[in-house]
Amino acid sequence: MAKLLLIEDDEETAEEIIGELTHRGYELMHAATGTDGLDLARAGGHDVLIVDRLLPGLDGLAVIETLRREQIRTPVLVLSALGALDERVKGLRAGGDDYLSKPFALVELVARIEALLRRPAEGRETRLRVGPLELDLIERSATRGARTLDLSPREFRLLEYMMRRPDQMVTRAMLFEDVWNYRFVPDSNLVDVHMGKLRHKVDAPGEEPLIQNVRGAGFVLRADV
Amino acid sequence: MCAVQGLFFVPMFSQFRSTSIRWALAIGCAFFLCIAVLFGFVYWQATVYLTQHFDRLIEKQASTVAALPPGDWNGAVRERADSDRVASAGIFDAAGRRISGNIAGFPSNLVPDGVAAGVTITRVDPDGPHTQLIRAVAVKLGNGERLVVGRSIQEDDAFAKIIERALALSLLPALALAMLAGALLSRGARQRIEDWTALVGQIYAGNLQQRLPVIAHDEPFDKLSAIINGMLDHIEQLVGQLANVGNDIAHDLRTPLTRVRATLERARENAQTVEELRGATDRAINGLDQSLNVITALLRIAAIEHGRRTTGFADIDLAEIAGTAVELYDPFADNRHVQLDTDFRSALPIVGDRDLLFEAAANLIDNAIKFTPEGGKVSVAVFRNSNDVVLQVSDTGPGIGEAEREAVTRRFYRADKSRRAPGAGLGLSLVAAIVKLHGFRLDIRGGPGCIIEIACPLPVAGGADGKRNQSVAE
Repeated sequence: MAKLLLIEDDEETAEEIIGELTHRGYELMHAATGTDGLDLARAGGHDVLIVDRLLPGLDGLAVIETLRREQIRTPVLVLSALGALDERVKGLRAGGDDYLSKPFALVELVARIEALLRRPAEGRETRLRVGPLELDLIERSATRGARTLDLSPREFRLLEYMMRRPDQMVTRAMLFEDVWNYRFVPDSNLVDVHMGKLRHKVDAPGEEPLIQNVRGAGFVLRADV
Repeated sequence: MCAVQGLFFVPMFSQFRSTSIRWALAIGCAFFLCIAVLFGFVYWQATVYLTQHFDRLIEKQASTVAALPPGDWNGAVRERADSDRVASAGIFDAAGRRISGNIAGFPSNLVPDGVAAGVTITRVDPDGPHTQLIRAVAVKLGNGERLVVGRSIQEDDAFAKIIERALALSLLPALALAMLAGALLSRGARQRIEDWTALVGQIYAGNLQQRLPVIAHDEPFDKLSAIINGMLDHIEQLVGQLANVGNDIAHDLRTPLTRVRATLERARENAQTVEELRGATDRAINGLDQSLNVITALLRIAAIEHGRRTTGFADIDLAEIAGTAVELYDPFADNRHVQLDTDFRSALPIVGDRDLLFEAAANLIDNAIKFTPEGGKVSVAVFRNSNDVVLQVSDTGPGIGEAEREAVTRRFYRADKSRRAPGAGLGLSLVAAIVKLHGFRLDIRGGPGCIIEIACPLPVAGGADGKRNQSVAE
């Protein structure tokens, strides 16, 4: 199972995260200061680093920058307290791969880690295939078995995003960030509405549902039905 | 707090007392110097004048005596030499020996040219010889003898003594006066500072209605007072707003939290199956998310209001942003049977933060759809007028009353008509904060319905010429 390193100074937050991730079968190491975290990260052997932005001793961004300078390319998920506007940009610039602001739902954290672990290689393929679904990226056409799906451009991009991540949970925030390319949607139910329309087209009555709703979290495209 | 205040104010006062004494001394010294210089000048001028005056007098006497017939010379000299220690006169032979008069010998350094000079002579008085410093003039008489007429400058010295005494007598009171003036001046300033300190102390203690006195508007002190008063007005207003916001936050958070609590309590007592418990937990999580959303929105508004963010600023296309927002909301509007129209006529780039402006546009559209009754219409337009690129969102909802238009941009304010709409308290204040951060204008108008515009001023490239070029290009 994947090995994670959590660098987080707040004990309670760390406990929550460790509890949830261990429960899901991840192997976790924990450091409470930036310096300790940096040492552990340098030692290597982690699949993903979860780094809090504000740490005693050595700041989270400094930890990431140091690692990147030393050519350590382990994917990093940056955590930060709410508020400041530039935080996300700064976090990503420092070399973070994804960014999550507190407070976050634990499922969101899990989904982001999962996404970092299974980062799809943005290949040059012109066709995507998941189960009965097929997407032609040049023709911009979609089929389920013999049935042609009539998708709007947005729905097409949604489906493409899901098909690049089969059997992987994607959250509303991830969809909004990656498919719409904006952050901060005033109402996350809007993504549900769009996903509902897509699902309506993909899963016709009587067919095995491919797009599944994960209650309170997001969506999964099942490949093995 | 009192201890802190004490620590802060006491050293300041004692320091100030010594400062005011130093002030009084400095002013006193300056006064003293001025007076001394003035008296010195008067003394010098008076001495010069008197000496010239007496010089002319003795020169005239000498020429008068010389003009007399030779037989009258000795009489005239005796007459002049008789005077008491003031006047001296004498006639001397070519060798300088005294012939008549009260001067023992011809003064060695006196030139017989009829021009007065200062010389030291020995007077021959009945009670013996006296050495005296006098102004004297010598003229040659027709027979080779020389006439000397002199006048003591002891009299001038007496005059100098009068001036010196006047100087001494007036200096003391002047010095005292100067010290007093200095003390008064610095006490006046000190008094004001002390008054201020007392007033500021009251303000610090929480009396925000207190203001500093402004007496004359062009005095530096009063200008400072006016500025501080302006600051206090602003602070008072902000504190007032904060208090309201606190109440509103409490209300908006308590409602969902109370519901969550009730849900959990009921589930704990009554749930029979794990499924029932899960359902209740999900509802509780939803309620908590709602509370968290409120907090998130508040923190974002605070961050935007206090931000000086320009790092995310770039050339952006408002129509593209509005288009994406409309597309995002289209299904939502559909579900509510509200028609969503677009009219995009400008693709001019403006400078701004793409994410924040999307958020603003989305909030405006969100609000408009929520407040528009079924069968109504929401229109989103991007166009340009003479100076701005404008994003306009209008709806056929109830509109916002004129009195409420400013208030709706404040945190948590909800027009009464919309009280039932969920989560609508923060949208417009978020928009207002974003607009302010960019230096754009937010305009809320009544139509029928409601029209809200974000006006983004076009950059005036190259001043008036740039503008002209632009309008020519159109």
